[in-house]
Amino acid sequence: MTPKEKNNFTGITAKARWILPLTLWVVLSCFSYPFLLKVEERSFFEFDMAWFIEFLDKPSGLLSWLSLFFIQFFHIPWLGALIWILLLTAAAELTRIMFRIPQSCSALAYIPAAILVTYNMSLGYMIYYVNLPGFFLLPTLGYLWVLLTVAVFRKVSNTATVIILSAVWGIAGYYIAGFYGLIGVLTAAVDTAVSQRSRTFRLSALISVIAVTLLSPILFVETTAYYLPSGWTVGLPDYMIRVSLTRIQAPVIAAMLLLVSAPLIQLPKLSFVNKTPSYVQGILLIAIVSLSYTWWYKDPNYMAELKMIHAADNLEWEEAINTFRDISEKSEKDKSWQPTRIMVVLKDLALIKTGQEGDQAFAFDDGCKQQNTICGVSMSMQIGWIMGLHYGIPGLCQRWCYEENMLFGWSNVSYRYNIMTAMVFGNRELTEKYLNKLDHTLFYRKWSREQRALLNDRELLARTAPYDQILPLLCYDDIVTSDLAGLEMFLNRHFNGPSPMESTPLYDRIALLFAMKSKNSTMFWTRFFLYLESNNPKKIDRYYQEAAYLYANNGQKDLLDAFPIDDRVKDTYKSFMQYASKYGKLSLEDARNCFPKHLRETFFYYYYYVNELILF
Amino acid sequence: MRKITIPILLMLVACTPRIPATFDSVDSVPVIFPDYTDVTIPGNIAPTNFLIEEGADSYITVLESKSAQAVIKGDKVKIPTRKWRKLTAAPEISIRVYGRNNKVWTAYQPFKLTVSDEIDPYVSYRIIPVAVESYEKLSIRQRNLTNYDEKVIFANTMVETNEEGTCINCHHYRNGETDNMMFHVRHFKGGTVLVLDGKLNKVNTKTDSTISAGSYPSWHPTHDYIAFASDRIHQSVHALSHDKLEVLDDNSDIILYDIRNNIVSPIENDTSQFECFPDWASDGKSLFYVSATYQAPSGIPRRDAVFLDRFKFHYNLYSKPFDPDTHTWGASRLLYDAVASDSSVTWPKASPDGRWLLCCISSHGVFPLDQIESELIIFDLKDFSYRYADELNSPFAESFHCWSSNGKWLMFSTRREDGVHTRLYFSHIDENGHFSKPFALPQRDPEFNREFLNAFNIGEFMKEPVKITPWQFASFISSTEATPSRYDSKREK
Repeated sequence: MTPKEKNNFTGITAKARWILPLTLWVVLSCFSYPFLLKVEERSFFEFDMAWFIEFLDKPSGLLSWLSLFFIQFFHIPWLGALIWILLLTAAAELTRIMFRIPQSCSALAYIPAAILVTYNMSLGYMIYYVNLPGFFLLPTLGYLWVLLTVAVFRKVSNTATVIILSAVWGIAGYYIAGFYGLIGVLTAAVDTAVSQRSRTFRLSALISVIAVTLLSPILFVETTAYYLPSGWTVGLPDYMIRVSLTRIQAPVIAAMLLLVSAPLIQLPKLSFVNKTPSYVQGILLIAIVSLSYTWWYKDPNYMAELKMIHAADNLEWEEAINTFRDISEKSEKDKSWQPTRIMVVLKDLALIKTGQEGDQAFAFDDGCKQQNTICGVSMSMQIGWIMGLHYGIPGLCQRWCYEENMLFGWSNVSYRYNIMTAMVFGNRELTEKYLNKLDHTLFYRKWSREQRALLNDRELLARTAPYDQILPLLCYDDIVTSDLAGLEMFLNRHFNGPSPMESTPLYDRIALLFAMKSKNSTMFWTRFFLYLESNNPKKIDRYYQEAAYLYANNGQKDLLDAFPIDDRVKDTYKSFMQYASKYGKLSLEDARNCFPKHLRETFFYYYYYVNELILF
Repeated sequence: MRKITIPILLMLVACTPRIPATFDSVDSVPVIFPDYTDVTIPGNIAPTNFLIEEGADSYITVLESKSAQAVIKGDKVKIPTRKWRKLTAAPEISIRVYGRNNKVWTAYQPFKLTVSDEIDPYVSYRIIPVAVESYEKLSIRQRNLTNYDEKVIFANTMVETNEEGTCINCHHYRNGETDNMMFHVRHFKGGTVLVLDGKLNKVNTKTDSTISAGSYPSWHPTHDYIAFASDRIHQSVHALSHDKLEVLDDNSDIILYDIRNNIVSPIENDTSQFECFPDWASDGKSLFYVSATYQAPSGIPRRDAVFLDRFKFHYNLYSKPFDPDTHTWGASRLLYDAVASDSSVTWPKASPDGRWLLCCISSHGVFPLDQIESELIIFDLKDFSYRYADELNSPFAESFHCWSSNGKWLMFSTRREDGVHTRLYFSHIDENGHFSKPFALPQRDPEFNREFLNAFNIGEFMKEPVKITPWQFASFISSTEATPSRYDSKREK
């Protein structure tokens, strides 16, 4: 290789070393931030010694704890992304250095890091099923632990020390890093086996490492209460789903197998490596990046859902509406596009919270696009607590918080909803219990202090968001119920049930919207007059006028003069009916093609053409 | 040597907190958590560590009895076990707390711990995260009451958590002895795990003629029988109530399981009666149980009907004579007419001395744990007089109680601390049926109950620890199919 070629190699890899992480950081911070926020919201970290000690109970607990420590910074997505990328870069660079990967093919060192990125970024809806604290950074930290183990073992030169080290480091490593601890000693053993040291030394290392690998999990299961096979895999991402785990864990296992086999490859000894032309390195890098990105989960509806859920969690209702509006507009050309039901119900909730439902509820495309995932996630698992709390059904909110906690552990978001529910119930002791937890966090202690200020002042609570719009909804008699058949259907039943004896204006507004959504004219008239009576509006909102005009024309003609209807509503109705008589019955997709936008944004269109929705 | 000894002695003296010589006094006892002020404790219980919550800068606590004294510094009063054993050797321990604010010491009024009868050395309970449908992280554990040691008896996590997952419940012991014990396993390879004279067995007590496998067991004190409820349980979420859940049966009977012959026979199976919660009298010659009358309307699914009619479920208390030698049942006798008082009595538990019967009482329904209003009511079996055990009751649910083997102590579940997380409390009963102020299960860290986000459930006293290891249970459960029980309707009711 000429010095010029050498410089080329160095130039490419040196630039790539910075360009790749930098690009990844920009992409993660600008485009994948809702996902990073979701990772943070579904985790929890507190600065508390007792909480820390709990993690020491189980192998890989310490690594989980460390992972959760870093994940808390995803609260500021660019910062979290930066930390993650620094860890990945360290993993790649240390791989290059430790396994002496020549400059001419240093891109190979990035393969395991790319796999780890791919694994996380391809999760999509699976994030709702991960059952491992700190799952997001655990494989990356585990990878670094393996490298550290190899480095430590390389320092040892005599047989007695390697046996002692295998036992001590092996068992300690297993308790610190679980599965990655075992991979660490295995990799170290392979590394030792291919080294130039004595046969006795290599044999001792191999035997002691194998003994540690086999014995550590057995010791572990004897002292704890976990399923025996999980002794060897503890620390690998686990999922509460009924599909093959191996398939989902495969990328992490692949990254670790690469590490175990790395010492065997002995790249510097391969003659063709040094003869590799520089463009191959470039191609390799492009291939790694492209392949990785291909596997990322990029469904725009999923990202929109995440953004809307995050907005709802933070009471940023306008943001939720704008997200829905943005994706609707971007998808205008794609006539097959439909929102998911989660997007629709969150949009409706946001419209209610901002008082816009009367003028905006039917101004967006409706739909029921299925989630693009191998394992569907119920609407209740995703937004059950949001709907329960904000629609004034605190029992439902509490129920889904607890289900989540039981299955996946406590998270920032479940603490917050538990606190808000306990506030609504007026349960001081319970609220304090959960607030104390958030007091020990970095990013939620301020929110906790704000909530604590409301704890002793019920009047202030009633004037403060979100409670100002929740307490007025608690005007119905308690019911026992279940939303297992579907959250949306449950809400429909709830608001289309008997009217509360002493309903509130807000309750009547919501009940009217649900009556319109259910297309039940009798229910509509009941709710409509209750709405008029309790809200006494100066001007009836557009969609209420449209529904009243439609139902009056369809049977209750005597009501046509009972309240003012705008000429614009009458004209739109006329125009709509002309189109309807021209096209007759149409599927949702065909109707979207045939009707102009201004007619699709009417209650008339919803009533006649939005008919194929599968509610969840 | 002397050079070393003197500094060490000086250090020890410096480390021992000094009782303040001058101080102001206040008229109240200090606020502590858990509340152990003026409680009666068993002589063999673990130290009742507590947290002082008076907002002072520092504290000194002095524990004194005729036999010993301990001085402890700090807001977390963790009493050394050796010192505690000496303190509890006397019949009374006096505790005085001093708090210091702005360099001024304040002495709170002393409170006392009365040391009384010994308690069974072990309890077992379920530890369960608060949830409605999920059960993956449930375990049954045993706790040594004389210290803080806790061990798993069996946990759902010890077998697969997916399709091959299990759910365990209803752990129970014959007279508190663990060589004869049982618990249920639901779902994968489900059945009733029976330990008989130390040997593992698994049976399926669900037959074609019974509603379900046996639940809510009561082991006969002298013979090889277990009385069970056989019921179909449903639960539903409250939308707007402090009660999280409504749990109801849509059908229930009570059955007798003949252990040695693996035969199930009916005790009460009237279709219009929902019988539940059997409990043997201490002599085994009668069975207490509760029953509600309900006729489901036609045209509605039974499950929906019971929830719609949930306020109609009023469970009366009955007893039914039984001759264990001849397996002969007498006619049931109404002991408490809950219907007449618009209430519902559940979970009868007779004291081992045969004198008392403690039940839960609420406005309706069968599952006191999830009813905020559930309280404990005590019946004197001499004359069937009764009274609400107000000294035990709180604004939150009291439920699932259990008597110690000497009949002197009661353990019960309560949500008094925060309305959601069930905790175990203990109380002493005197010869007149009066309970002492209840106290929380002592923990090494006094803040444990505040921090711990799981619930304790169904405490059972044990005279000894379970000897079978969790892995013996796990291996047995995973590898063994349940032996079906035989149903014999002809056995006399």
